[in-house]
Parts: sequence; C-alpha cells; structure tokens
Amino acid sequence: MLRRGGLSSIDALTARRRGTARLAVAIAAGIAALAALGRSSDPATKTLPPAGSAHGALTLGAAIALTGNANLYGQDQRMGINLAQRWLSATPHPRPVRLQLEDGASDEPSAIAAFNLLIRRGVVALIGPTLSQQAFAADPIAQRQGVPVVAPSNTAKGIPQIGLFISRVSAQSSVIAPLSLDEALRREPGIRRVAVFFAQDDAYSTAETAIFQRALAERGLKPLSVQRTQLADNDFQNPITAALQQRPELVVISAQAVDGGNLIRQLRELGYRGQIVVGNGLNTPNIYPICQRWCDGVLIAQAYSPDLDTPINTTFRRLFREANGNRTPGQISAQAWSAYQVLFEAIQRLQRRGGLEGVTLGEARRRLMQELLAGRYDTPLGPIHFRPDGEVVQGRFYVAEVSMNANGRDGRFSLVREIQVATDSSPEAAKP
Amino acid sequence: MIDSLLQILLNGAASGGVYALVALGYTLIFSVLGVINFAQGALFSIGGYLTFLLMGGKIGVNGALPGWGLPAGLPFWLALLLAALGSGGVSLVVERIAFAPLRRRGAEPLLSLITSLGAGVVLVNLLQILMGAEGYAFPQGTAALAQLPDALLIGGARIRTVQVLLLLISALAVAALSLWLERSRTGQAMRAVAEDPTTATLLGINSEAIVRLAFLISGMLAGLGGGLIGMSVSLAGPYFGISYGLKGLAVLVLGGLGSVPGAIAGGLLMGLAEALIPSEASGWRDALAFAVLFAVLLLRPNGLLGRRQLEKV
Repeated sequence: MLRRGGLSSIDALTARRRGTARLAVAIAAGIAALAALGRSSDPATKTLPPAGSAHGALTLGAAIALTGNANLYGQDQRMGINLAQRWLSATPHPRPVRLQLEDGASDEPSAIAAFNLLIRRGVVALIGPTLSQQAFAADPIAQRQGVPVVAPSNTAKGIPQIGLFISRVSAQSSVIAPLSLDEALRREPGIRRVAVFFAQDDAYSTAETAIFQRALAERGLKPLSVQRTQLADNDFQNPITAALQQRPELVVISAQAVDGGNLIRQLRELGYRGQIVVGNGLNTPNIYPICQRWCDGVLIAQAYSPDLDTPINTTFRRLFREANGNRTPGQISAQAWSAYQVLFEAIQRLQRRGGLEGVTLGEARRRLMQELLAGRYDTPLGPIHFRPDGEVVQGRFYVAEVSMNANGRDGRFSLVREIQVATDSSPEAAKP
Repeated sequence: MIDSLLQILLNGAASGGVYALVALGYTLIFSVLGVINFAQGALFSIGGYLTFLLMGGKIGVNGALPGWGLPAGLPFWLALLLAALGSGGVSLVVERIAFAPLRRRGAEPLLSLITSLGAGVVLVNLLQILMGAEGYAFPQGTAALAQLPDALLIGGARIRTVQVLLLLISALAVAALSLWLERSRTGQAMRAVAEDPTTATLLGINSEAIVRLAFLISGMLAGLGGGLIGMSVSLAGPYFGISYGLKGLAVLVLGGLGSVPGAIAGGLLMGLAEALIPSEASGWRDALAFAVLFAVLLLRPNGLLGRRQLEKV
C-alpha cells in the first residue's frame, strides 16, 4: 500500500508537471500564433499595391469632431477637407487618394479611438484631431505606430513636439494672438484698464490666455480682472458684473465659439462699450448667430483671410460658397483644406519619384513624413512650409474686425491689417 | 458695498430661478413614480429648438434640411407656449417608451434611470441630426425686448432685462404649478398618487393617467425653460440642455427629493452660492456650489425641505 501509494504520488506529481509543461507550451504557442497573426494583420507590414492597380488608392484618415461641444469646428473642417478632396481628385494624379472620415468627437477617449480605428484600417496619414486637448492624448498613438499626422486646428504650444511624425498647418497662438492686441492699442493708445476672460476647462484657451497675458505685460498692461469661465457656461452675469466693476477699457477673451459668442453678447448687454479682442476659438463664422449685432467691432488675429487674392484661395472661396449657400469661408475650413492639400501633394511628389512603389505601408508612412516636411505648398492660407520639427512656417497673418450685416444675423471678418512675419527656419533635429 | 450685495442677490436669483424651473420637472416625476427622468435635459433642449423653429428660424447648413423653416414665424410668446406643449408631447413618448414597459413588469426603478438616460441620448442625437451642430440665437428684439433697454439698473446693480423677464416667468410658472397642485382636483389627485398610488387607485383615481399627466407637465416645464434660456443666451448646440439638466438634478437633491418648495429653495440657494464666489475664485464656482450641496446633505440628509412626506407633491 505504502509503495503503491508512494509510486502513485510520484506519478501524480510527474503527470501534473507534464500537464503544466504542456499547458505552458500550448499558451506560448497560442501567444506566438496570435503575435504572428497580429503581425500579418498589421497593415503597416503589407506591401502597397501598384498605383495603377484596382486597389492602388492610398487612404488619408481624418478624425475630427463631428459630435460634442467642438462639433462646430468639426463641421467646418469636414467642409474644408471634403472640398479639397473633391477638387484635387477631379484631375488625374499619379497616385489616387481616398478619404476616410471618422468622428473624433470632442473628448480625448473618442479621438484616441478614432485614431486607432483609422490606423488599423491602414491609412497612410491622419488629419486631426480637432482640439489641442485631444491631440495631446491621441497624437502619441500615431507617433508610436509611425503614422504621419497633420493637425488642422491644434494651435496650443508643443503639438509638433509630441513626436517626429506630428506636424500642423495651424500656426501656434503665440505667433498670432498678440497681433490683435497691437491693433486695439493702435486704435486707443491710452488703454490702461484690461479685463481678461478665459475658459479654464479648455487646454487651448488656458494656453492662449497665458500668451495674451504675457503680451499685455510686455506692453505695460496688467489685467485688473481675470475671470475664469467654463466651456459649457452660457450665463455670464456673475463674471461680467465682477469684471465691469473694474471699469475695463479693453476686454480680452480666450474661449470657444458658443461660450465666447454668448460672453460678447452679454458684455455688451450689460453696458460694456470698450474694445473686445478675442482669440482663435472664436475664429469661425459660427459666432455670428450667437452674438448677432453685439459681435460688431470685435477684433481678432487670423491665420487666414478670405480676402487673400491668390488663385488657390479664390478657388477655395468659390467652391466653399457654392457648397454653402454663398457663405464666406473661415479659418477652420481653410486650414482643414490645407491639411488635406499638403498631404495630397506630398503623396503625388513621392509617387512621381517612385517612392511609393514596392514598399510596405509602414515604410510609405515614413517616407511620406519626410516628403511632407521637405515640401513647399501654396495653400488658401498663403505659401507655407514646415520646420524640421513639424511646425508650420507661415509668412502672412491678418487682423480682422467682425462686421455684422444690418439684419444682425450674418456678417464677415473684415480685413483690417495684413502682417508679414519673418519666416523662421530654425535648424532643429530632422524628422525621419 | 450694498450695491455689490444687491448685485450678488440679483445674479443669484437670475440663475436660481432657472435652476428651480428645471428641478421642478424632475420633482413632479420623482413624486409620482419615485424615479428620476434623465431625459429631462434633452426635453429642455427640444423646447429651445422648437421655440426657435416656431418663430420662423431656419435650419443651419449642418442640419438635415439646410435652410428649411416654417413659412411664417409665430410671435415669441405663442411659439414658447406651443414649444412647451411639444416638449410635453415628447415627454409623453419618453414615458411610453422608457418608463411604462418597465413599470408594467414591476422592474427595479434603477432600470428606468438607464432607459431614460438612453432616451435622452437618442433625443439629443436626433436633434443634432435634424438641426446640425451650430448654435442658434433668437432674432434680435424677441419678446418685445427691442422696446426695452438691454439692461436694467436696480439700486446700483445691473441685470440684463431678458433675465428679469426670465425670472418673472419662472416665478409665475412655479406659482401657477403650486396653486394647481394645492387647489385643483387633478392636482390633489396627483398628490394622492404621490403619497400612495395603491390607495389612490382604490379611491378611484386613475393612477396611470396621473403619471402621464406628470410627464406632460414636467416636459412642458422643461420646454418652457429651454425656450426661455434660448431667448436669454441662445441655443448653444443640441447638448445645451444637458448641463441645465445636471444642475437641476443637483437642485432636486438639495431641495429635497420630491418637494416643490424644496426645488424652489434649492434653486435659489444654488444660484446664490454660485453668485457669492468672488471673481478671483471664479474657477471654483461649480465646486463651491456642489460643496454647498454636500454640506446641506450632511446636515439634512433629506435635503432642505424633503423631510416630511406631506411636503411631497
């Protein structure tokens, strides 16, 4: 019994060990199989089909805010991208390009999900996301997987510095924002009393107000009142009455379109008659129906002017008006068009040199990024190119004033001043 | 000093009046069914958009039918009334879809929180598909405001005329509702159902009809609030009602679940708490408002006026 029992115990132990070993081998094999399967299903490892073949079109992915609070911008971006795609595809090019649009919504998780989805579907490059706050969350995903990103509207500091594959066509606010302050001070050099409003729950507005406040300090002005609001706010009675107690002569606002538009309206309704300078978040015709006649006279610095008289901008303006009931395009749509255009042109240049034949998608993405940064582009924004770190270099900026029509429901950004900025090509580490 | 105090009181009353109006919608349904209707915020948005359309507003370029609008616009007050009725109608549909089936099966009340939340999300999405994402504002001079100054100066404190109007209408709606609940037979029947639906049914009250009436009125209150806010600060996209809905929910808890006077007191207290925040700490406004809620609930777990059953609707 003892012997039998002893032997039985050893057998059981051995059997258990063997079983464990078999299980470990099976798990390892499973993992290896899954890894191989994953690798073979990774679109980056697949060779691009020839340009002339049935499946030769490359796909550009756009993840923009079509829902949520930022969808006002996303809708403008969709118009810009769609118009560029239609216009550029109307004539034959060496490599056909397709567009795949995905809703990146207005929050970070949705932007991440949209980027992941588009990357898995094998896009050659990405346009988006809409908000800087989303870009800080989603861009690292594209960077890790080596997918070029062109941001059409992220103007916060540090976006291209997220990684080697990240670039933008939207000039950062530190370059543009102070220009409108200069215009306000040129009109009223005696301004001493300033009130500042900013949306504290928006990364972009928080960054922009810091730029505005630094620019004010450089001009010898210290804000007497700094009011923090939130993007979802629409009743500003409290912050406005608090600010107006300081009798400001200039109000500087960093907010988004709807909250900012409401803020302007209520400022005027509560009796403020001084100058108002607003930031890039209000750089959209969507503010007209919100603040109506109270928008009149608001000053804004822009990276785009519909009045720019170049062939490409004339085309863009015409197509936009045809598609949108004669509305004048705004900066957001122009930048979205430009984002699509620069990628499209870089693809065609690369294709002409044979750089996209017989290579994997991963390699094509790497080459496209290099090509993108090396090129010069004539866009509706004016001539642009990129610094080696992906930052856009744009030579022309504009200060505009909102002029509302007599009906108070529609208006335009009237060009006040065009400003030439020295284009800086500071040498920085080259991208891939 | 007195000017500043008056300004704070006016600011608090202006926002508190709207919060009370939103909270009343929740209160009615909570009283009758013991559940919270999370679609209330969406009904608030619907009220605003309906008012805009009935006044002859056109759908924007991002909507399903760009440029579409009614051939002739109605005056604001009539549009507001019809929009409130429309929101009440949608509220009845929500009741039929999200609440009635669960009630008939005797399901956990928690489940109707989820179904009403789902109904709210669907309504907001439908609104976005139909109207697009853009903000809409009512025409200038709506509600004869063109004949009035933009703002009124009351004892050194300044308030927008439209907000005074909004406060008056909110107060009127709340007073009318309270009076109706107290004096009318149907109002008394609703209070009876709120007390004990089984006994009320035994007494010959049609509880199902009372539940539907509660949904109709709460939808109308939400629609009224949406239209008024639309007039005051524009329609900031289909989601704009949701934030008011959330604030109304906090007010409901603060005032005491199911208490009409509590909803009013809670709304005003919440508005005042927000207005009391000094400008330097304006970023803490929401945090402080909810800290007040927290403190009140610590001292009075049933809310300000939610202690006794008799105080329910």
